[in-house]
Amino acid sequence: MGRAQPLSTALVALVALAVGFLLAGQVKAQLLTPSNQVGRNQALIRSVQDLERTNQADRTKIEALRGEIDALEAQAASQSQTTQGLKNQVADLRAHAGLTPLHGPGVQVDLANGPPGSDPSGQGRNLVTYQDVQDLVNLLFASGAEGVAVSGRRITPMSAFSGSEGEVIVDQGPPLFSPIKIVAVGDRNGMEAALGDPNSLPSLRLREIQYQLTLGVRGAPNESLPAFDGSLEAPHVGPA
Amino acid sequence: MSARPSSRRPRQRSRTSAGPVAVWLIALLVALVATVQLRSQAEVEKSLVQADPATLAFSIDQLSRSNDQLEAQINDLTQRRTKLQSGGSSAADQALQAELDQLRILEGLVPVHGPGVVLVIDASGLTALDLQDALNNLAAGGSEALAVNDRRVVAGVPIVQTAGGVTVGGTLTPPPWTIVAIGDTNRLAETAEAMTQQLRSDRRVRQATYRVESDIVIRAVITERPFVYGVP
Repeated sequence: MGRAQPLSTALVALVALAVGFLLAGQVKAQLLTPSNQVGRNQALIRSVQDLERTNQADRTKIEALRGEIDALEAQAASQSQTTQGLKNQVADLRAHAGLTPLHGPGVQVDLANGPPGSDPSGQGRNLVTYQDVQDLVNLLFASGAEGVAVSGRRITPMSAFSGSEGEVIVDQGPPLFSPIKIVAVGDRNGMEAALGDPNSLPSLRLREIQYQLTLGVRGAPNESLPAFDGSLEAPHVGPA
Repeated sequence: MSARPSSRRPRQRSRTSAGPVAVWLIALLVALVATVQLRSQAEVEKSLVQADPATLAFSIDQLSRSNDQLEAQINDLTQRRTKLQSGGSSAADQALQAELDQLRILEGLVPVHGPGVVLVIDASGLTALDLQDALNNLAAGGSEALAVNDRRVVAGVPIVQTAGGVTVGGTLTPPPWTIVAIGDTNRLAETAEAMTQQLRSDRRVRQATYRVESDIVIRAVITERPFVYGVP
């Protein structure tokens, strides 16, 4: 009894000390971010989220409008051979522009960031960049792809890639983040061979080893690509 | 004697059971606070990452411009739908012909013209990846039609590094590269300025210049490849 009481008192004191430590840490963590800065940043984040919602709503609207136009054109084409001829030509060009879904043999490429902290320099070389995606898409087209989609975003003749650290923007966005899934339809053997070539994608392969980025490739007999749901407006260019 | 132990036992039992209960309660409290602490730190880290002002500013700028483009596309499609709803076959023919012309431009199947920039890059040792980067930067910077050394380029035209040098659409295209981009000249000039500045700091580059022109003609066209594997 005489020995047990000091022991339990010491235990309680130790636990109380730990609680105090954690409470202090908690308060410190909260004080680290000045409320003004957090407020400003939260306002910016809200702006991004609002813009993303508008972006998604606009895409849905575009998809619906294209569907309605297609139906109206089909109706008109059923009454005129000239219209039907034009519609067939447009359908072919729409397919090549990525405005209609495409399916067939192909490959799926999964690209993911290396684990956090795997680049001790803090330069984010463990993160997937838009250049990585650009290089992969170019390689796929060069090796026989007839259509490509990046995380559900169909590539068109006007497509471009941009972004900042760890963020990939295809055309009109919104930003995509790791893991990125690239699906291509076309010459499956050609694409698999190009992706398996150790001399292709030098930057990615080096960072795969150094920073554990992951690059997974899988061929499939039937891949599906969605239609492009963004804008193909080109107001500054006209026929010569 | 016997009463003392019996009278002490309950007291002793209550003390021995209250001790562990208190310790367990405190341990529970510690665990609770530790959990809150860890979650709070994770949240702080997460929000700090998200709150990178440069990333947020870039996203806002990009999304605002994108949404403007999407709005323009919605307006165009809405007009097209209205025209189709109001007319019969002739309205449909007009709408289809307009789309046909537009898609031929976008896919690089016809010669085009418009305002833009002309970049000249003279270098030795630049690779296909350098050319792809340059063309992608211009495409992301507002280009609507592109050509390199009179070869038309759209996304999907293979730009490949071969033993003989860089090929564009299967044709050897050695530097100097004259890149023509038609589009919004304000945005394109801004992009070209940044590109040429960066290129001049590259030891492989002898010359990197650009000029803005009010009307550029791209006569080169792409031959459409039919689908062999894909089914629309």
